[in-house]
Amino acid sequence: MKNEIHLHTRREFLRTTMLGGALSWTVPVFLADTFSALNADARDSATQTVTGRDGTILVVLQMAGGNDGLNTVVPYANDDYHRARPRLGLSAADVLKLDGNIGLHRSLKGFKSLYDAGQLSVVQGVGYPNPNRSHFRSTEIWATASDAEQVEKYGWIGRYFDSNCAGADPTVGVTIGRQLPQAFWSNSGKGICFDNPANYRFQSGAHPRPGQPDRMEESYKKLNDVEMAGTDDNSGGSIGMLAGAKPMHGGRAVDFIERTALDAQVSSDEVRAIANRVPSTANYPSSQLGGALKLVARLIAGGLPTRIYYASQGGYDTHTNQLATQERLLTDLGDSMKAFTDDLKAQGNLSRVLIMTFSEFGRRVAENANGGTDHGAAAPMFIVGERVKAGLLGTQPSLASADLFQGDIKFTTDFRSVYAGVLEHWLKTKSAPILGREFTPLPVV
Amino acid sequence: MLKPLSSRHWNYDTAAHLLNRAGFGGPPAEIAALAALTPEAAVAQLVDYEDIPDNTPPPGWAKPNAEEMRRYQQAYKAAAPEEQLRLRREMFRTQYQQIVELRGWWLNRMRHGPRPLQEKVVLFWHGHFATSFDKVRNPYFMWRQNEVFRRLATGNWLLLLTAVGKDPAMLLWLDQAKSVRQHPNENFAREVMELFALGEGHYTEHDITEAARALTGWSLDYQTQDFMFRPYVHDAGDNTIFGQTGNFNGDDFMELIIAHPQSARFITGKLWEFFAGDPPSPKLNDALADVFRGAGNNFKPLLHTLFRSEEFYDAAVVRNQVKSPVQWLVGTARLLECELPPPVVSASLTRSLGQDLFAPPNVKGWDGGMSWITTNTLLARYNDAATLLTGSIDSMSAQDFAVGNGGQGGEMVKHFAERATRFRVGGVNAAKIVPPADRTDKDKLVAALEHRLLQTRLKPDKEKALRDFLAPKQQLTDADIVTALRLIMSTPEYQTA
Repeated sequence: MKNEIHLHTRREFLRTTMLGGALSWTVPVFLADTFSALNADARDSATQTVTGRDGTILVVLQMAGGNDGLNTVVPYANDDYHRARPRLGLSAADVLKLDGNIGLHRSLKGFKSLYDAGQLSVVQGVGYPNPNRSHFRSTEIWATASDAEQVEKYGWIGRYFDSNCAGADPTVGVTIGRQLPQAFWSNSGKGICFDNPANYRFQSGAHPRPGQPDRMEESYKKLNDVEMAGTDDNSGGSIGMLAGAKPMHGGRAVDFIERTALDAQVSSDEVRAIANRVPSTANYPSSQLGGALKLVARLIAGGLPTRIYYASQGGYDTHTNQLATQERLLTDLGDSMKAFTDDLKAQGNLSRVLIMTFSEFGRRVAENANGGTDHGAAAPMFIVGERVKAGLLGTQPSLASADLFQGDIKFTTDFRSVYAGVLEHWLKTKSAPILGREFTPLPVV
Repeated sequence: MLKPLSSRHWNYDTAAHLLNRAGFGGPPAEIAALAALTPEAAVAQLVDYEDIPDNTPPPGWAKPNAEEMRRYQQAYKAAAPEEQLRLRREMFRTQYQQIVELRGWWLNRMRHGPRPLQEKVVLFWHGHFATSFDKVRNPYFMWRQNEVFRRLATGNWLLLLTAVGKDPAMLLWLDQAKSVRQHPNENFAREVMELFALGEGHYTEHDITEAARALTGWSLDYQTQDFMFRPYVHDAGDNTIFGQTGNFNGDDFMELIIAHPQSARFITGKLWEFFAGDPPSPKLNDALADVFRGAGNNFKPLLHTLFRSEEFYDAAVVRNQVKSPVQWLVGTARLLECELPPPVVSASLTRSLGQDLFAPPNVKGWDGGMSWITTNTLLARYNDAATLLTGSIDSMSAQDFAVGNGGQGGEMVKHFAERATRFRVGGVNAAKIVPPADRTDKDKLVAALEHRLLQTRLKPDKEKALRDFLAPKQQLTDADIVTALRLIMSTPEYQTA
């Protein structure tokens, strides 16, 4: 047909740009023309781009709400600590000792065994200058890697997609959750999100007889087919669409939605195929986090080309009754992480995966009157993997009252140095273009 | 710039566009009625809504609750720790029920209210002054702020900005109530310049510090639950704001903002973007700002000009805005002349699509536009369409209810949702949309459905897919009509208006 190009070329196009090769799509000529122009670049970078099928993978784990770092990585022998926390302070008996001064919260047994196996590094005192105590603002700062005084739109991971993943499949970034976290926001619109593979699909509600096609689902696919977009009056936006651009302003909205629909359809098929194919026999805690990490492990095993996964665990905003709440959350965190690394090890994939945790801030050094702690500043980060520089990294900040700022811990490591270390040493890319300027990369691996 | 659209170009399509943007859309008869008027009369009918009576009663609990709060606090203080936990849970539950009810109340007002533009502008102000129940914690205050937006929706900018600054929910949301001479809190002073009225680059950090001093004393009286000026925490010294020195208080600061050369450009640019979809060009923005200034910083004349302008009906504007989740939900009910699902279901729907009313993600509000659409929310829209059409929540996942309500909240929502399913409301009446007699000619049928839902035609290939789907069926049942509607709602095209 006049309107179509050769199958071989179409396949090439689909594979090297966004879709992954298995589908028998046809592409209108105008798309193919645009594609040819873009393709030279896209194909080169695509063949050179490392994917999560065989390259390194980063899993970012957000501890939302502001985890109390001091009761997570505990300076149990420190008098200032116990003075500030007469009720909440954890003593030597309550911790899993890492050395004579520092111990992990006793519920982090999973982390302790990783630590003993040389697979955990604890980066101490991570934060940024002029810390902000608002959940959303501080989350935004961590997500965009901006200075506290500066508002950025795109996330640091999104900028990584923009600069390093041209021509990659949309599943280069996967968030287990409903919304795309700001860290994923990008100019190129890469990255998908879903919380449950079973629901991550068009639910036709039809019940065709076995062997019969689901006609409704077929129709839905046709109605969301990029080919069906037709060839008239939308060439402007489609160039952006092919390049993967997500025009926040300008362009036809429907072109952008069409592309997202295609991403959704293709990734939905891919994700569910993997979910059906890859059983998960590993035991995880039956929590939301455990479920999310279990899913990530299956997607990795199934060979999804994802380089960055994002999962989160909420509930750390412990203004009241902190002891019980944090114990429950950290138990879940440690056990889920242990299950995840065991699972990856059994798969033979652990050496390719690095896990990094963060929270938008730590909490005030002094406990409050309600058995809890209020919003604070610097806190530790955990980095997990077979190849990590294991042990305590960075400097434990002083808790002497003269060394605090408005009752908060002063940071000793900028979080962007940790990002820089992960980008340079794990994802093997220059960090300055992504983080906006040079930060000394922390040697995390 | 801003030339009124000629009557020659006024037709069903332009009328549909006006109703989509200045309201929440409507069924063919409503659009046709608007198209039968002149453009100025059509715009006036929407903008000059004061003469249309709106007797929507407030939610039953929407009245001052200071006494209740005081009793609660007393009981709480006196209680043993375990009893405190119980009291807190109970309070949480009540507040939760009320805020869900409030969401439903407002959504239904958008659905049925006789003044669509007023509700649309209230939605704009809610996103603009993005105040969240998550921090305010008092549903009465959230309702009250909503009423301020409604009362002053299309009025004077200085009056509105001042009223919002003195509004209890805002005083709590941006910590102005806690700001005292000894430690001025800069939160409100900063946001009012950065996000509400001027935009970055049009003030200095020094302006913020000085404005925060001028604003000290603006506070909340917890007894009356009203704004209160506390002279003893007010910094009565001179201050310099935008290069002018004087003995300014909070009201003076508001006047300085409105007098700032940037203020008209800023707010008219935001309004244009909300109604037209993209930010205006600098030239268009200047023209809008001139109209606004010329009308004494009043919104109503601006809206008349905006909705009548040729620019508003430009091909780059029409059908090129992503529907917000609220627009998607309310608009669907209006297009299909059906009821919204029960409040807990409606609220869960918009939340799972990314727009939790009375709980914007942060003080910047919702990013809107393309950011409404992710792979996940798009599939959710396609699946939630079934919920709206059938009035059954069977196709909604249990997780839809728990999103954004970590811990006990999630459990509670699920509980309410289960209760709500017992009174099934909503669902489309297929016989009303297409009477059985009109179902034999499938080409006509498909065209009629497109006309109602999209006010335009799908691309021929897509239309064919739809006709092919219906082709094998001899006699189209109501269920077939519902399925066809679902398919049209499961297109990229339906997500725009």
